[in-house]
Amino acid sequence: MMFFAAIQNNPYWGKNFFNVILLFIERMFSACLGKIGMGDLASDEIQICVLSLVAIASATVGTFLVMKKMTMLANSLSHTVLLGIVLSYLCLLPFLPKEEMSAHAVSVEVLLIASLITGLITTALTQFLTSFFRLQEDASTGLVFTMLFALGIVLITALTRNAHIGTEAIMGNVDSLHLHDLQLIFWIAFSNLFLIIIFFKEWKVTTFDRGFANSIGFSGSLFNYFLMVLTSVTVIGAFRAVGVLLVLAFLVAPVLTARLFSHRLKHVIFLSIGIGVACSVISVALARHFLSVYHLPLSTSGLTVTSLGALYLLALGLKWGLKIYQRRKPLLSKN
Amino acid sequence: MMEDIPALKVEGLSVNFDTTSVLWDIHFQIPQGMLVGIIGPNGAGKSTLLKALLGMAKPLSGKMECFGSPLRKAKKRIAYVPQRSSVDWDFPITAFELVLMGRYGTLGYFTWPKKADREAAKKALELVGMSAYADRQISQLSGGQQQRLFLARALLQDADLYLMDEPFAGVDMATEKAIIALMDQLRDRGKTLLVVHHDLSTVDAYFDWVVMLNTCLIACGPVDQVFHADTIMRTYGRSNALLEEVIKLTQNKTCGFH
Amino acid sequence: MLAFTSPWHYFTDPVLQAPTIGSMLMCLASALIGVIVFLRRRSLLGEAISHASYPGVVISIFITAVFFPKAHDALAAIVLIGALCSSLLGLWVIEKMQRSLKVKNDAALCFVLSIFFGIGVLCASRLQFSHALWYQTAHIFLYGQAATMTDIHIVLYGTLAAAIVVALFFLYHSLRIAIFDRDYGKSVGVPIKAVDAILFILLILAIIIGIRSVGVVLMAGMLIAPAIAARQFSDRLHGVFILSGLFGALSGFFGNYLSVEIPEWGKRQGWEWKFALPTGPMILLTASAICIMALLFAPKRGFVRRRIRALYFQRECCRENFLKYMWKNAQCLPVEGIAKLQFGPKSALFVPDSSSAQNAYSQSSMSFCAEAEPAQKSSNLSSKANLAIPSMSFTQLKAGMGFSLWQTFWMLFCLKNEGWIEEKDKKFCLTTDGWQRAAHIIRLHRLWEVYLVHLGHGVEKVHRSAEEMEHILTPELEQELTLLLDNPQLDPHEQPIPSRNLFTFIDTKSAEKTSSSEGML
Repeated sequence: MMFFAAIQNNPYWGKNFFNVILLFIERMFSACLGKIGMGDLASDEIQICVLSLVAIASATVGTFLVMKKMTMLANSLSHTVLLGIVLSYLCLLPFLPKEEMSAHAVSVEVLLIASLITGLITTALTQFLTSFFRLQEDASTGLVFTMLFALGIVLITALTRNAHIGTEAIMGNVDSLHLHDLQLIFWIAFSNLFLIIIFFKEWKVTTFDRGFANSIGFSGSLFNYFLMVLTSVTVIGAFRAVGVLLVLAFLVAPVLTARLFSHRLKHVIFLSIGIGVACSVISVALARHFLSVYHLPLSTSGLTVTSLGALYLLALGLKWGLKIYQRRKPLLSKN
Repeated sequence: MMEDIPALKVEGLSVNFDTTSVLWDIHFQIPQGMLVGIIGPNGAGKSTLLKALLGMAKPLSGKMECFGSPLRKAKKRIAYVPQRSSVDWDFPITAFELVLMGRYGTLGYFTWPKKADREAAKKALELVGMSAYADRQISQLSGGQQQRLFLARALLQDADLYLMDEPFAGVDMATEKAIIALMDQLRDRGKTLLVVHHDLSTVDAYFDWVVMLNTCLIACGPVDQVFHADTIMRTYGRSNALLEEVIKLTQNKTCGFH
Repeated sequence: MLAFTSPWHYFTDPVLQAPTIGSMLMCLASALIGVIVFLRRRSLLGEAISHASYPGVVISIFITAVFFPKAHDALAAIVLIGALCSSLLGLWVIEKMQRSLKVKNDAALCFVLSIFFGIGVLCASRLQFSHALWYQTAHIFLYGQAATMTDIHIVLYGTLAAAIVVALFFLYHSLRIAIFDRDYGKSVGVPIKAVDAILFILLILAIIIGIRSVGVVLMAGMLIAPAIAARQFSDRLHGVFILSGLFGALSGFFGNYLSVEIPEWGKRQGWEWKFALPTGPMILLTASAICIMALLFAPKRGFVRRRIRALYFQRECCRENFLKYMWKNAQCLPVEGIAKLQFGPKSALFVPDSSSAQNAYSQSSMSFCAEAEPAQKSSNLSSKANLAIPSMSFTQLKAGMGFSLWQTFWMLFCLKNEGWIEEKDKKFCLTTDGWQRAAHIIRLHRLWEVYLVHLGHGVEKVHRSAEEMEHILTPELEQELTLLLDNPQLDPHEQPIPSRNLFTFIDTKSAEKTSSSEGML
């Protein structure tokens, strides 16, 4: 977890919740104006940026996953991606010095290839079980991902003797994020956003009405595969920050929250991005707050996911309140 | 002559699903400017016929031509109205956006809908009587209203051949009348409409031409000539129970289950 | 020297006893409940609930650490209670989201799965900071850890597992109705809603027991893998339950066994690099391996067996086609008397199918048959039959069927061995048995053609379907068809349909009787 002594020169040291946010805004302004270089960013800022970018990448992809009812597939992918990472990590093992066994050792390109391969294997295996063995879809999904995940855990524990990797992979290690990770997740978020925007009407029509989309020339299954590839890449990008399991929260929770308030697809996407980013900022600020005021180091990724859940509850409360207000409004206006 | 080219010409079409024959050796021609009803019992392959025409179901064999050219080339002239139940009506779009989707085919990739497309969508909404609901979320609409939106979307495609899958299912009387009036107008303008229909009692009143299907073609022709007790009997009458049992047995044998 | 320790050792050694028996009992319970989850097609509900139980585990450990630091023995029970509350809450949230908030099933499951797990992670980090040792206990529940189980665990989990088995036993009939025939159950007054509620509780119970050995993350697989395997072997509900429990227990045992033995074996072999295998994932891998073996090799539904059966069927079809070809090419029927019985007054005996252009008949053979003398009563079919059935040469058969040299040779060899054909002077002809079999196929073919035309299909189109169906129709179906179509004599191509009488060795008296009662076949 946190190493207190080493971060004394962190400008966020000792700040409480509101001060953290204010300082962050101030520093981001300066960074945009060029006064603070990329190399001078504090670890808290890197964390906020990485988490926000994870939120952006996930919200864009997650909206369509939820609409297409493919969230369980995303869960499945996020589990099997671990196996891909382990295998690519193991392929590079002979070339790594014995001490350097952390998740940062594997390069970006290898990770991306691992994500693609495992994404394809998962879908292929699930399809294979459903069609050749006449197994029902939910059972084959469940079997495939637990089996591959178990394999991944066994390999990783057996071959690295580093139990931490197993936990890190699941829960991430926000505190050990580098600038390097920021670059990776930036490009993933950017490309996700870009691809969703330029193909927006295609995504809309293939998700809503697959038959009609096929009839006008947009292949429904092509876009399904496309979405799965994007999901795999997003999961890989987020794996260092929040770990594979908590990415699911970023994919699903903001979209469900946004859905409560919006009836337009564009608005749902923007709102979920906003919610994700807000949760990222809040959680890092809260983590710093707990550390400064209560001297409690808490898991930032845990805080992020909890705040996503809390925001959903808050949104529900708001909506319920609005409904009651609207019902009482005619009565109030009469008075 | 342009008018002599049949709107749709199907020869030897056979479609399989797994190892079951869903459609078998279908031959028919439909002249232009007809309102055609496709009728048959459940599982007769009516929806499959539409899907095969759109290239969504891969046929085992057969040749299909639309206005004289192979289907792939004629795709721009075909509009498809799927079954209402095949769509998730909780999707966050408004009625206007749904109708606007009709223009996506002509736009292609990397282009956004233009002002002219939006105006056309507004006009189509007016035509089906849904202008007041343009900004309504589609889940808040009734079955009849949703069907009208589908129709408006098809109108926007400005096609010459319309394929409709059970447009009258679960729709109120007023909407049904409005839809059939619209279909008549389209037919009078020279368009050809192929409609999968389930209600035998209204076939006489609604359609000019009928295709009677029960895995294979029973009859195809003008309603007054072809739609009578004998053909109806052959389409619906014979019990297919034995056939279905045998087909199931075939499936099991070829998969090794017995 | 044995490569591996004897399994019996695991039940007797006091250190290994508790983990082994504990795991077996837990996996047994989860496998049994898994059957229900699998048959109801809600396999992923287990995944959501197991993740939802994690915060409960952590919080209960936290409470124990803070308020009851000495209560090490009661920890297992306290954790169970915490997990129970948390899972119930998770289940409630899932149902509420689906019902009131109109969230789709998969989205609700994933939401609860991830959010609850995240809360658990948060609480675990708090625990790790203040009570690092207790944190290790919480960490156990991620991937399971059988090795640290003691006798208390056996007692606790054993009792709960026994409770589950007993509950299932008493609920068995209501369960069967609730799974397969709910409407019927409602109509006869079975309390379906109460049964559902009990099943949910049993599911949660099985999950919170199981997570100690398999872990939160992998629990879903442990629920369904034994159930899937069991389903491949049995079609009866009680069979599936018993087998599933057995597979679960086996996975529990071998998971533990292998996770200890393999590193030991590696050590004994002198491997330089030492490693440890985590038990939870090993149990799951064992269960998955059993599942995959079952999917491939189960006697009735296994993939490999099915493929073999399908290939066998194709081979039989090929052979029957060969026999058919020989039958059609035979110049004449064996015995005139039988011919009369078979075809009645109309003497159209052999008219080639319009589609099989290869079969050319000479006019002479036709006239020969037509002029045949009626009714030579004979009880001994075989001798007369063999004299009259014409034979064909190897090259004729090869050309007619379009086979290669080896294919024809092999086919003739097999058919001769099985007694369907015989060889005389380098020529081949059908035996009586072969004759009957071929005629039977032709009968089924032509019956089917009549049926299809009866349904309204065009006459030109029915041949192709009949070529497939002739190999598939069972005697019961044949009987049904004969009844339905009123025992037809001719097929749509105006060819005679071989009658059923031909297939029994009958003396003439009974032959006459049966000929008049043909209609009652």
